[in-house]
Amino acid sequence: MHELSIVEALIEQAQKEMDRAGHRGRVLRMELVIGRLAGVSCDSVRFAFDLLAPGTPLEGAQVHIAEPKATCRCHTCDAKLEIDEITIRCPHCGGIELTIEGGRELLLQSIEIED
Amino acid sequence: MKIVAAKKILKANDQLAEENRQKLTAAGVFCVNVVGSPGAGKTTLLEALFAALDGRLRPAVIEGDIAGSIDAERIEKLGVPVVQINTQGACHLDASMIAAAAEDLDYSAIDLLLIENVGNLVCTAGFDLGEHLRIIVLSTTEGDDKAAKYPAIFQGSHALVITKADLLPHTNFDTRRIAADMKRLAPKAETFQVAALTGEGIAPAAEWLAAKCAASATDD
Ligand SMILES: Nc1nc2c(ncn2[C@@H]2O[C@H](COP(=O)(O)OP(=O)(O)OP(=O)(O)O)[C@@H](O)[C@H]2O)c(=O)[nH]1
Ligand SMILES: [Mg+2]
Ligand SMILES: [Zn+2]
Repeated sequence: MHELSIVEALIEQAQKEMDRAGHRGRVLRMELVIGRLAGVSCDSVRFAFDLLAPGTPLEGAQVHIAEPKATCRCHTCDAKLEIDEITIRCPHCGGIELTIEGGRELLLQSIEIED
Repeated sequence: MKIVAAKKILKANDQLAEENRQKLTAAGVFCVNVVGSPGAGKTTLLEALFAALDGRLRPAVIEGDIAGSIDAERIEKLGVPVVQINTQGACHLDASMIAAAAEDLDYSAIDLLLIENVGNLVCTAGFDLGEHLRIIVLSTTEGDDKAAKYPAIFQGSHALVITKADLLPHTNFDTRRIAADMKRLAPKAETFQVAALTGEGIAPAAEWLAAKCAASATDD
């Protein structure tokens, strides 16, 4: 799993955002968006965060992860459905002509810094 | 105080990958990221491609492995410049590893840089290395359901090379199934069917690669 390198990049990025805002405090809370189809396990992200955050301003921060679903549009029956894992058949009619959108987000949404 | 960033977490990698790509393009080096499962036949494919190209292009290789230099030694035997990256456990190469490896390569003496990624169908999909093309290698012994089960890596690839075609009679691999999945996931991708070990079917793949390489050279 590559969650370790993702969290490394995440911590770097959070520190960059703080520098840009001219803030040096401690991070209290961090919001992430990890889509269901991003291929990233939220548990592993939390685990990697606990491993890598100590010694950085993010140490001890609360990590909140939103996990948006993807939408699957079927060209056979026109159904528009929310899915939380990749599918090759329409859950409604079994059709195979599908367009799958979203669910691949991997974002640092926000950080909350101690005043 | 709350800072709203809404930034892609892998942006740092994406930026570095873009820098890699610009450097490669400026130096006239065409770069290909070769991905696939462990043992799919990536190294054997590279060996067969070099044999088929028969000195026509000046190639080099970056080998990505978790440990060891077995694959790099195989490439070195062919007289092709090679740099081994050991990822120390990481399941994929990233753009910073490529930037570091590039320091050991003389771009002015290379036309084609092939990167053999770590054998993995999942994590390699998330990391742009700065390549111009990505080739996914799938062997007939892995099963014809792999595109359906690991769509992301197939989706972003420019060519599918089905290897170990010599073993087709001994497997239940259905080339029509993979073709249907590719049509859905990557309709523009080329598909080649090869037996890298015997060289069968390699010529069209080598020609395609040489043509892509030449087209990019005339672009700039
Ligand atoms: N029958 C047959 N065997 C092949 C073919 N291509 C590769 N092999 C065999 O498959 C095994 C793995 O091949 P490699 O080329 O080392 O595979 P790889 O994808 O580079 O493996 P890793 O680097 O370990 O991920 C070797 O024993 C090869 O000889 C082929 O076209 N036909
Ligand atoms: Mg290999
Ligand atoms: Zn349907």
